[in-house]
Amino acid sequence: MRRRSRTAPAEKNRPHQRHGHGKAHCLKILKQLSAYLDEELPREVCEEIRRHLGACPNCEEFIESLKQTITLCRHHPVRPLSSTAKARLRRQILEVAASL
Amino acid sequence: MKSRSQGRHPGARPSAELDEPAAFDQLYRDHVDLIYRFAQRLCGEADAAKDIVQDTFLNAYRGFKKFRGDAQVSTWLYTIASRACLRMRRKRKGEPERELSLEEFIPTSEGEFKLQIPMDGLTPEEALQNKELRRALDQAIEKLPPKYRMVLVLRDMEGLSAKEVGTIMGLNERAVKSRLHRARLFVRRELSARGIARQGGTGTEERMVP
Repeated sequence: MRRRSRTAPAEKNRPHQRHGHGKAHCLKILKQLSAYLDEELPREVCEEIRRHLGACPNCEEFIESLKQTITLCRHHPVRPLSSTAKARLRRQILEVAASL
Repeated sequence: MKSRSQGRHPGARPSAELDEPAAFDQLYRDHVDLIYRFAQRLCGEADAAKDIVQDTFLNAYRGFKKFRGDAQVSTWLYTIASRACLRMRRKRKGEPERELSLEEFIPTSEGEFKLQIPMDGLTPEEALQNKELRRALDQAIEKLPPKYRMVLVLRDMEGLSAKEVGTIMGLNERAVKSRLHRARLFVRRELSARGIARQGGTGTEERMVP
């Protein structure tokens, strides 16, 4: 994953430059991350992604934060409907339904 | 009178037409928590969620005779509820739909690669005790264009399969997965770049259930 920088020489030392790819490769990986995390990709594609992640710390951080985001969504809390509200709604619905 | 669906799994197909108050009552009891939770996640407001529940079950009452049982009852109710919620949101806020492109989710500066509030070493439940994180998550979901929010809620929050989400939304699985990926990237970006205050609460307020 490429970060913008005004200091061009520093780019040479960035991980994605060191292992011979650039933003295009990171974007290609980014496009597949959900499918990768959901285990929907063929084995060889997963291996390619793992190789990239191992060599690109920014993509590694990115996928970790995406994984955490999905985990948070899966555990997103909601306030349950109170018994009182449930009973009131039930009464209202049954009354209207009976008149239909 | 004994309810028709009494004793069955809530997701099972009712065996006959829903033309009796007792059977309808059972349908309500079996699914009200599910639909309320879904509506709250989709609409973000408790009062609006109650309206969605009411709308959903009344539409279910009206439409039950046409329900052929091709899908589970829960999938059918999700479909009715999702339409009700979209109608309500359009009416109230005029929320515009917009397409999300993958390119817009490429980080461009420091601090955009990680989540602002780290959850290392914490369970998701512990991390979500932090009210700032919870608020940021709620706001990120709220900001999602409706068609992306719907997929995220159904797939990642309600835990439905891509196929089930496709049935509910009238999409093929490929479209569901594409929207889901963009929705996840959107929420990730919101949680990474928002500059959430780190002194968030300890979560001792009202009890919430995942």
